[in-house]
Amino acid sequence: MSTIPKTKSKGFDLNMLVVYVLLVVFAAITLVPFVYLLFSAFKSTESFFSFVLWPIQPGTIEDPSPWYAVDWTGFTLDNWKTLFLEAGILRATINSFFISSMTAILATLFSAMGGYALAKYCFKGREAATWVVLGSLAIPFALLIAPGYQLLYWLGLLDTYTGLILPGVAPAFGVYLFRQAFISSLPDALIEAARIDGCGDVRIFFQIALPMVRPMVGAFLLITYLATWNNFISPQIVIQSADKLPLSVFVAQLRGPYGTSWGMIMAGTLVAVTPVLVLFLMLQRDFIAGLTAGAVKG
Amino acid sequence: MAMSKAAARQYPAWVPYFFLLPFLGIFLIFIAYPMLLSATMAFQQNAGPGVSEPVGLKNFSWMVQDPAFWIAVKNTTIFAAASVFIQLPAALGLALLLNSNRIKARGLWRMIFFAPVLVGLPFVAVLASLIFEKNTGLLNVTLHALFGFDKEFPWLQEFVMPALIVAAFWMYVGFNMIYFLAALQNVNKDLLEAAQVDGANAWQRFRNVTIPAIKPVAAFVVLLSLIGSFQLFELPYLMLNESAGPENRGLTLVMYLYQQGFDRGDLGYASAVGWVLAVALFAFAIVQSAISRRSEADA
Amino acid sequence: MSQKRLYVTVCNIEMRFRTLKTIPLGPLVILLIAAISSVAIAFWPSKEGEGLIFWTFAPHHARMYGPVIEQWNKQASETDAEEIQMFVLSMGALNRRTQSGMWANTPTSDLVEIEQPSVARFMAGPVDEVGFYDLTDRLHSEEIYEQLNKPSFAPWSSRGRIFGLPHDVHPVLLCYRADLVEAEGIDVAAIKTWDDFEEAMAPLISDLDGDGGIDRYALGLWFTSARDVETLLLQAGGGTFDEQGKSIIASDANAHVISRMVRWCIGPNRIAIDAPEFSPSGNELKLKGRVVAALMPDWLAGVWMNDMGDLGGKLKLMPLPAWEEGGRRTSVMGGTMIAIPKTTRDFESAWAFAKELYLSPTLAKKLFESNHIISPVVNLWDEPYYAVKEPYFSGQYSGLLYIEQAPNVPFRTSSPFHQVAMQQIMDAASALKSYAESNDAYDIQALIAEAKRLLKAADERIAQEMSRNVFIAGQAVGGDGDE
Repeated sequence: MSTIPKTKSKGFDLNMLVVYVLLVVFAAITLVPFVYLLFSAFKSTESFFSFVLWPIQPGTIEDPSPWYAVDWTGFTLDNWKTLFLEAGILRATINSFFISSMTAILATLFSAMGGYALAKYCFKGREAATWVVLGSLAIPFALLIAPGYQLLYWLGLLDTYTGLILPGVAPAFGVYLFRQAFISSLPDALIEAARIDGCGDVRIFFQIALPMVRPMVGAFLLITYLATWNNFISPQIVIQSADKLPLSVFVAQLRGPYGTSWGMIMAGTLVAVTPVLVLFLMLQRDFIAGLTAGAVKG
Repeated sequence: MAMSKAAARQYPAWVPYFFLLPFLGIFLIFIAYPMLLSATMAFQQNAGPGVSEPVGLKNFSWMVQDPAFWIAVKNTTIFAAASVFIQLPAALGLALLLNSNRIKARGLWRMIFFAPVLVGLPFVAVLASLIFEKNTGLLNVTLHALFGFDKEFPWLQEFVMPALIVAAFWMYVGFNMIYFLAALQNVNKDLLEAAQVDGANAWQRFRNVTIPAIKPVAAFVVLLSLIGSFQLFELPYLMLNESAGPENRGLTLVMYLYQQGFDRGDLGYASAVGWVLAVALFAFAIVQSAISRRSEADA
Repeated sequence: MSQKRLYVTVCNIEMRFRTLKTIPLGPLVILLIAAISSVAIAFWPSKEGEGLIFWTFAPHHARMYGPVIEQWNKQASETDAEEIQMFVLSMGALNRRTQSGMWANTPTSDLVEIEQPSVARFMAGPVDEVGFYDLTDRLHSEEIYEQLNKPSFAPWSSRGRIFGLPHDVHPVLLCYRADLVEAEGIDVAAIKTWDDFEEAMAPLISDLDGDGGIDRYALGLWFTSARDVETLLLQAGGGTFDEQGKSIIASDANAHVISRMVRWCIGPNRIAIDAPEFSPSGNELKLKGRVVAALMPDWLAGVWMNDMGDLGGKLKLMPLPAWEEGGRRTSVMGGTMIAIPKTTRDFESAWAFAKELYLSPTLAKKLFESNHIISPVVNLWDEPYYAVKEPYFSGQYSGLLYIEQAPNVPFRTSSPFHQVAMQQIMDAASALKSYAESNDAYDIQALIAEAKRLLKAADERIAQEMSRNVFIAGQAVGGDGDE
């Protein structure tokens, strides 16, 4: 299937047709849930319960209306009005922006620092630290919930943004990725030269080392941003005030134990998905380059 | 990782520790301490409010006896196998389709396939729980309209693992595709051409030129997939309305841990489960890194 | 070396400038987001309240409680009492936080609402170590116990002690499509048992669109729904543990009910369709008239009124058909308590507020009018607001119908093994369904025999699991010691 440029044939190319058909089918399957989401977010509760995609004008069971007889009255903006004017989704969105960006920035910085130390220095305990990093990838998160609550209480961080951000600012996965990136794309000679010229280690890190792994910086920022944005369990452990909750929990709480406004949940989901979609669209080149930098030389 | 001795000596001894400090600090407080706590708890029985009693190895012996634990092992293994043997090959396939520079608008295709992972687990789970519903779920309605498929097909009651695998496939296949796309940049075009001139068919070229070139990335992606699979929890938990589904059909290892700890209130037992899982995963990671080191040495 | 030297020179002075200019778009955007959102957060501080912390899991509870709390806080500021601040947490979050806090012996809330399916996990230790205040003596000395509907205490009691104030009774009736049933000329007054029900409703089970498949079924319930199964088990006198805390998992009543439910859901005698609550598919089936009858606790009536207004005037309520002639005509589904964690800062204030909230006549009225829920306070049952014709239920006195059955709701255990046992019974039901399908055995006697076998295995399994608990092995827990 690896196509080779020079075998290009003129006109009709069966291979390319097959490729396109496969791509289109796959893209359709991928996009259908998005279409579903989009329709659902603009439907009233009644038409959400009655129609999978768009509402159809009422017919009888014996003589149903055709699929194209769209019932426009089934669409509504009420979900959005309630979300923004009454339910306070704006605050949750700002919380999500704040928590995610802060976590992403700090996690990237600290991961890069840790990865740099493991990749570029010889020191006592380096081997052990590397194993710690690898080992913590294996820890199931659920194990940490109850002791974590106790810790945050002791530290006085319950129901604070700090309590939510701090435990996530030095992920082992990030340290591992940056270690790989530094090993593969930062020549030792460069560091040496800088030292000879009297550059301090901290400055070397920020002004020589970090720029060399720029794609990884971009990618890891996005990865942690995305992971924090969609984090679901930890905010529920740490936060109790409604006005500090991030979007992921906010939207889930719309579900409530009794009775559910599905249209509102779908609209909320759309609100939650759009910013990361836009962010990714803007940053996808960086992201892809960096994501793979860690793996290629893995 | 060759490092000249000169370079190694030119900095104060505290420097590497300074760089490592944030990670180590956070790790010690938020991971190591809870892990140690749970290590002691793994040998206790715990009944909610601060009550515990040492039980020796009984938590582990009960685990082996508990059929639910083995169901969780089975389901988790099935899921991991599906990730590695269905999802990753599909991701590679997609990457190969997109790799040809004769494809128009590659960025757009890439974006489409990648989009689901941006939706995020909690939202994907809610979406999936709606799409897989009986009678009116999008999937059954579509299959019914196209193929006369049973509208009451009980995905979330009796075919939980397939539903989960499909949902995870939808979410992650594009993400893994990105890794493979990048790996395919490493494939030597001249070598491919030479092979073709020598009369190697497409499969032989793929087998002998492409595969060796993408091996390191593939190993990395397999490791990530395995770790992710064995940590699977939120997707089934939220898809099945905070349960494991009928007859534990959607029970995963981490969900089992969670249920034992929180739904039944025995954190000691849950810790034992967690440690078993962590040790198993760690073993995976060691084996994997040994393998990739060997293949690096081969290259 | 000269190249490197050059690089280092850059590093010394110009680099700082250059890095700024060449900072890639990705980090720049995220830095911008961080900056802007920080400013937004700084200028939009979250409300920092004071007073006792009260957690609830239901937004509609919060809406009802709001005015009561406002009133309370107004009085509190004049006297010395503590103010109350209410937080709505999702059910999972509320349970996780409460449990985590209890394990760590750290404060969580001062007052907390717990839902019935979640309560058992808090009762797994020795009775003195339950994380909530034991309210038994207070309830008796303040003569509150006598005022409330007795069965409502059961889910919150363990080994004879009561750990919460009940919020509700939640009796269950049968709701049916009066329009369809009456058009068919069916006399529901003649339906006394489930046998009668099957027979009477048979004509309504039909293929509506002529495609050869049945579209409308008599009952909206399913053997995989723990809520449906438990409700019917309790009605039949089955369940998991009895009032003495003895296992009744392998009881005849259980075997009978799961066999009947399986037969309702599959095979030639099928009368049921899976129409889960709160789900789009379930609601659509109800709205389209493909479900004739459903189990209907009082709170669910409130939910239907809210979510499915279109069914207004088409529905009626009746007591549940009994499992045998003269048997119980109701059951119980769901329920909430308010409890006071032992880590509370001020028990007296919390207790005073809990009573104010749950026993107040104004709240009882609101509870009924906005959610159709019956108060557990017995002497309020004569209040005029319960005796109104409800247009949603075709002008029936629906409140009175629920009150009529309220004293009859069955006992429920609070055994910490209840959830596990229920899970085992559900698994038995699933296995029974597979058995019926693979052996083509839909005869009720054959099913009951197999059900007994499956339940016996389940019972042994639970006994094993219970013997593992070192704290309460051998004790009868979950029984209401008062009996």
